[in-house]
Amino acid sequence: MIRRLAVLGRSLLRRNAVEREMDEEMRFHLEMEIRKLEERGLDPDTARTKALRDFGGVDKHKEEGREIRGLARFEAVSQDVRYALRGLRRNPGYAAAALATLALGIGANVAVFSVVHGVFLQSLPYGGGERLVHLRQVAPGIGIDNAPFSPKEVSDYAAQTRTLTGVAEYHSMWFILLRDPEPERVQTGVVSANFFDLVGVKPLLGRTFLPGEDAPGSEPALVLSYDYWQRSHGGDPKIVGRTFKMNDRMHVVIGVLPPMPAYPDENDIYMPTSACPFRGSAAMSNDRTMRMVSLFGRMKPGVTLDAVQTDLATIAGRLARQYPEAYPPKEARFTAQAVPLRRELTEHARPTFLVLLATVGLVLLLACANVANLTLARQLRRQREMALRTALGAGRGRLARQMLTESVVLSLSGGLLGVLLAKGTLGLLVSFAARFTPRASEIRIDTPVLLFALGISIATGIVFGLIPSFPQRRNLVGALQEGGERSGAGVGRHRLRSALIVVQVAISFMLLIGAGLMLRSLWKLQQINLGFKTERVLTTRLDLNFSKYRDLESRRAFQIRLLERLAGQPGVVSAAIAGTFPLNDGGPQSGQFEIEGSPVSNADMRPQADFQNVSTDYFQTIRIPLLRGRGLAPSDRADTPYVCVINQTMALHLWSSQDPIGRRITVDRGEHWIQIVGVVGDVRQYGLDRRPPDQIYLAQAQFPPLSSTLLVRSAADPLSLSRVVRDAVHGIDSEQAVDRFRTLEQVHANALASPRLTFILLGIFALLALLVTSAGIAGVVAFTVGERTSEFGIRLALGANPREVVALVLRQAMTPVVIGLALGFAGAHLLASAMSRLLFEVNATDPPTFLAMSAVLAAVAAAASFLPARRITGLDPMIALRSA
Amino acid sequence: MTVLPARTDLLQGTLDVLILKTLALSPMHGWGISQRIQQLSREVLQVNQGSLYPALYRLEAKGWIRSEWGNSENNRRARFYELTRSGRRQLAEETESWERFAAAVGHVLQASAP
Repeated sequence: MIRRLAVLGRSLLRRNAVEREMDEEMRFHLEMEIRKLEERGLDPDTARTKALRDFGGVDKHKEEGREIRGLARFEAVSQDVRYALRGLRRNPGYAAAALATLALGIGANVAVFSVVHGVFLQSLPYGGGERLVHLRQVAPGIGIDNAPFSPKEVSDYAAQTRTLTGVAEYHSMWFILLRDPEPERVQTGVVSANFFDLVGVKPLLGRTFLPGEDAPGSEPALVLSYDYWQRSHGGDPKIVGRTFKMNDRMHVVIGVLPPMPAYPDENDIYMPTSACPFRGSAAMSNDRTMRMVSLFGRMKPGVTLDAVQTDLATIAGRLARQYPEAYPPKEARFTAQAVPLRRELTEHARPTFLVLLATVGLVLLLACANVANLTLARQLRRQREMALRTALGAGRGRLARQMLTESVVLSLSGGLLGVLLAKGTLGLLVSFAARFTPRASEIRIDTPVLLFALGISIATGIVFGLIPSFPQRRNLVGALQEGGERSGAGVGRHRLRSALIVVQVAISFMLLIGAGLMLRSLWKLQQINLGFKTERVLTTRLDLNFSKYRDLESRRAFQIRLLERLAGQPGVVSAAIAGTFPLNDGGPQSGQFEIEGSPVSNADMRPQADFQNVSTDYFQTIRIPLLRGRGLAPSDRADTPYVCVINQTMALHLWSSQDPIGRRITVDRGEHWIQIVGVVGDVRQYGLDRRPPDQIYLAQAQFPPLSSTLLVRSAADPLSLSRVVRDAVHGIDSEQAVDRFRTLEQVHANALASPRLTFILLGIFALLALLVTSAGIAGVVAFTVGERTSEFGIRLALGANPREVVALVLRQAMTPVVIGLALGFAGAHLLASAMSRLLFEVNATDPPTFLAMSAVLAAVAAAASFLPARRITGLDPMIALRSA
Repeated sequence: MTVLPARTDLLQGTLDVLILKTLALSPMHGWGISQRIQQLSREVLQVNQGSLYPALYRLEAKGWIRSEWGNSENNRRARFYELTRSGRRQLAEETESWERFAAAVGHVLQASAP
């Protein structure tokens, strides 16, 4: 086999050389033969004639030689390809319609497959990434599903694990890096020295952290992320060795990382734990309950995930027994678990892309059905050509091969266009995928994706090329006769065309339902009462430098001065400082408290709420309504009794019908008491689709936050105020970074972006499907009308009402549509239940969507059939009869 | 495309073994092979030259012979064929089966009525 392939390969590569060799060899033979005959005494002419006669046709021998060398098959294929291309050029309408359908169908699949391959299939971009796990502490009994670890616990797990080669700790913070011209706020991954070795990342420049570099007192070192190095330092090759001041200390850059997923966070730089002022503090290191770091582990070779789970549970149980005061009681079912890193990196993207994959698969099926239908129509017109070729001796196999070549040529060209289409839209798809997974940056159209494109192109060509050849006509004579194209012989093909319409309608219906459900869900999300007003509010981050603003007094002074400065600026309606704001990423801190007069015995049964610190004008600035009591006031100062405002959910949850105003709570077991002075409306803090938890707003003047946001309500375009805000901040402290200016409307739009983009994608596919299907229906009806013109002429001549004839045609045309709708109903239920995780407050069997979409599809199909059927009413019976 | 009639199969097989045998004696070009077969068969077997070259290409494609361009006895460029190792094995097999066949035919023809 291999040798034969080699011979064929050689023959193809050196086709001309092979020809020349065969020529030369046969010429040599003839010359020898002629010489022999001459030696026997024949005169040269006679000798030549006899030799040629004996030898037979040179070309025939050469043809046989070619065949043996596999060239013949190649020649036949290339002949077929040339013939196919010629046929397509002669039929530009068919070729363009088929190419466009195929390019869309294949392009959509290639694009979505590039995401599936980049995110789900290819190996993780970490050395041995499949063995990496993320550790977490859980206590399902009290609703804790992902608690971090305290530094004490980190060393316990590192020392006690039997199934992991090691554990590395991680947390992320914002610090200010001083450089010209403006101080820069950098997201900083704070890691143990073994972090990069454990996750298997090698530096691009310099080195990563050495063992012991995270020991207290070590020289602060920095490793830069690839993106930050490119973005902020222009990819400076001499960056290693440079020093930057952060947190009042000099840090030296020791290395640059290669591009890697923005996971666990989109960090700009990394520093060892010893360099972090929080992590390095004695309070952090010694308190077992100061849980703030993530823990990663690498499974030992040959160890299963189950074994790791058992190992971690054993350690967790041992720690809980050893330090009962630091762990929840038995009922909380506290334990520790490992989650494979692959799952964590991809699980959020899975539902959306599974639905998209199903959608584009359906689109491709629809494209196949549509092109098969177009091809059938073309073949009905080519019946005589085919019959003629059969009559001239072309075998059925040969003709079928010709057809298949044509469709594969079409689908390969469509596939090529599709790949270009996918390449053109990849950027959009990548930014869409980035909303769900940090692996989006790894999506590209590479060799596996191109191979996939080639594979589905060929498969598509074979599928739509084979469908039309099922009903082979055998009646040669009928087809060759005058008018044979219109003889009723193509019944099988008509049935097949109706079946293809059924398929197209069913698929279109499924896609319409998908898009419709997404639209309903998006509409519901947009209808949600946010609890605040987004118009004309500018937001920005304002993280104070921890080393500079160590005490509450300095923070308070800075924040109060800033608000005073802003209040006087033209265009500023009101300004507020808040720990965070609704829909911002990174919600408020959650904490436990006690209510005066209702002590609880068990620490873990204490009520829990989100705490955030806001300045006086916060509620007014983003228009959160005050429901009871009063808001926070300028009179609530550091030296007056502590006060707070709670949200409605908390008021109903803890006090139901009673009045919470005047009640007092404590977060430090009664050392300080905070009085509830007001109740405000609920806001969607964590996302549009999540109801808020109990929330407590503390007064910024009493508890000034270190990392905060600034909100400014403006009279006009809020973004025009960013210069004013920047100047106000730098006027107080020129070393203070202020960045990430966004309007609250942008924040809201961003929260809606994923469902909106999903809807747009599904909507585009559904619209295209509807378009293609209606064109298919119209094509079939037009063909039927054209074919039965004489029959209709007779009917009209005999006195039939033109309307009744049109109704007859419409009835016939709508039969496959109705069957398709029925099948689509069943299919749509499957698709919709797969989509349920993407939907918000919309049932997968939402009756309005199903009703509306059936109506849309039926109306479009009726219109598509009516347009060509209308021609019948204008038919002149005499002309119709004569043209037959 | 030419479809060879079925009965050439036998002749073809015979021609194949004759070519292999001829080449077993020495490497040779196409014309030489045809002359040699004619000569060895004492002018009984005339090789149809039209089937010679297809046969040669087929044997080459099967890997039993290989070819090389060289100079003929009159110093013309000619393609010389020679037997490969698997061709030699094939020749042995075919010779044996041919002899068995010939012997069998002989027995049949010599049979006399009892």
